[in-house]
Amino acid sequence: MKLTIAIFACILSISAFAQTEGVYQTFYETRLINGHTVEMTNEGISKFIISHRFGTVNGGLYNLFGLDNSTIRIGLDYGVTNWLNIGVARNSFEKTYDGFVKARFLQQSTGDKAIPISLVGYSSMAISTLKNPTREVEFSERINYAHQLLIARKFHDRFSLQLMPSLIHRNLVLTNVEKNDVLALGAGFKFKVFKRLSINGEYYYVLPDQLAAQYQNSASLGFAIETKGHIFQIHLSNSRGMIEKFFISETTGVLEDGDIHIGFNITRDFKMKGKKSR
Amino acid sequence: MSKVVILSLFALAILALSAFNKADLPFDRNLSEVLIENGDPKPKHFVNAIDLDAVKRGEELVKFGKTTGPNGEKSGYISKYYKCTSCHNTVREDLDLANINQDERLNYAIQNNIPYLPASTLWGMVNKETWYNDDYVKKYGDLVKPAQHNLEEAIQLCAVECSQGKALNEWEMESVVHYLWSLQMKMSDLGLMPNEQEMLDIDSIGSKEKIALIKSKYMQKSPATFVDAPANKKKGYDYEGRPELGKAIYALACQHCHRPNGESDVVLDNAKTTFKWLENHLNNNDQLSFYQAIRYGTWADAGHREYMPRYTQEKMSDQQVEDLRAYIESQIK
Repeated sequence: MKLTIAIFACILSISAFAQTEGVYQTFYETRLINGHTVEMTNEGISKFIISHRFGTVNGGLYNLFGLDNSTIRIGLDYGVTNWLNIGVARNSFEKTYDGFVKARFLQQSTGDKAIPISLVGYSSMAISTLKNPTREVEFSERINYAHQLLIARKFHDRFSLQLMPSLIHRNLVLTNVEKNDVLALGAGFKFKVFKRLSINGEYYYVLPDQLAAQYQNSASLGFAIETKGHIFQIHLSNSRGMIEKFFISETTGVLEDGDIHIGFNITRDFKMKGKKSR
Repeated sequence: MSKVVILSLFALAILALSAFNKADLPFDRNLSEVLIENGDPKPKHFVNAIDLDAVKRGEELVKFGKTTGPNGEKSGYISKYYKCTSCHNTVREDLDLANINQDERLNYAIQNNIPYLPASTLWGMVNKETWYNDDYVKKYGDLVKPAQHNLEEAIQLCAVECSQGKALNEWEMESVVHYLWSLQMKMSDLGLMPNEQEMLDIDSIGSKEKIALIKSKYMQKSPATFVDAPANKKKGYDYEGRPELGKAIYALACQHCHRPNGESDVVLDNAKTTFKWLENHLNNNDQLSFYQAIRYGTWADAGHREYMPRYTQEKMSDQQVEDLRAYIESQIK
């Protein structure tokens, strides 16, 4: 009996002193550049995202370095809980609608129950509504899916790294040499220069023999500025699309040829409801 | 085993006896009861009997922002942005209830790990006689008029304006008021000297004198003095900063809201980049300067209603602001 009480007291005292602290702001935003990060939109917050990608800068002054040729994605994310997010968006590129579900399985933490990484699962579906003047396109042919695991670690206040193993499934591909299922491995980083300014990079390596020869790996570099309620992200990328199907499996820009697109994301958070926890 | 039982019974007996004695002694009674007994008028917000269910609901409203009503209805969040405890403690903050001493209050906060907040504690709030005092009229104008002499109006002003939320309905207000009454002062909180207790016990002084004696032991209002940021921010206030106290202010005041997923989306962590950022904006005349933010607060924008309330002189002295600065500067060397 005494032993039981002693053990119980020990457990109580240990649990009373046990402390685990979550690592936060691995990245500034839920988007690194084109793809998602392990950051989640908090419960009750609606995140409005406007993204633009312009034409290639090698179009010169005549096209104002691509600014004459803009595509837009307007999206709305919502934090159902701190670990579960959903979102919908409309892309002018191929008149595509997309929606996603994103769930955090692990959060990097320090202390007694330290976890070395954050782990997030992400799945999206995109439907192109672009009319095809040559033939009738089945609805199922318009659908594409993307699934990603986002594995990130904040190594230092200034530096975070993320890996993104990705699977794209396209119901319709244009040629026989292209695979419907495309596997890729992405990597991204954040380097915090100042408290509210960071440099971000993102690269997706598509495993060989899955795409037609003209498609390139997606490479992007940019910076993010945090202001009151807003995050501005400005970047350069050889990808024009802003959903996984486009930038992982259909990037056509050749970096060496100057096929670089200027782009930006602007996010604005709106609180839709309170949160119970302090 | 029998020894344990006997010891437990003995301990219970002592506890029961002490509880009985406390209830019997005037200096352990509720402060308001003693005042009313001596002829002080009942405050408008007085409740005859504290309803424990209402207290529980009120506590949830204050600490979590929402609760379930007496008929099972959900209250909804009072504010999307704040809880009452974002700015108010619910425990005693000062040893000396009759005088303002910021350093003593800070030491008490450090010793008891209590946040060092810009608004007055809800503990003993029902024992105050006025609210939104002094300079708050400069901020809220005529809105403070009904709130200054009516606790329920003060609560509504706090809910709607300060927390950018909704007005409380009847049962929500009743719940909060009952909860606040559960945080009322006791006679034993006043720190009466033995001779003063004796005066109250043996009726050697009249009722008016008793009331005056009791009220001399605590402030019936929380004074509020708005002060300016230093004219020369580079030089700061004319005090030598004490970084060790500044560290406590940073943790107990700043990081109470400026934490991950906190009230503010500006996270003030302990990273060098954060301290450097604070230092870089020291001389600014906008809300990024911590002198400006502390002394004037920030403001609610459309679509971004969260803001920071100012620290009055009573809630953070000029010396303490310099303490905070000294700590920030010490972290980037």
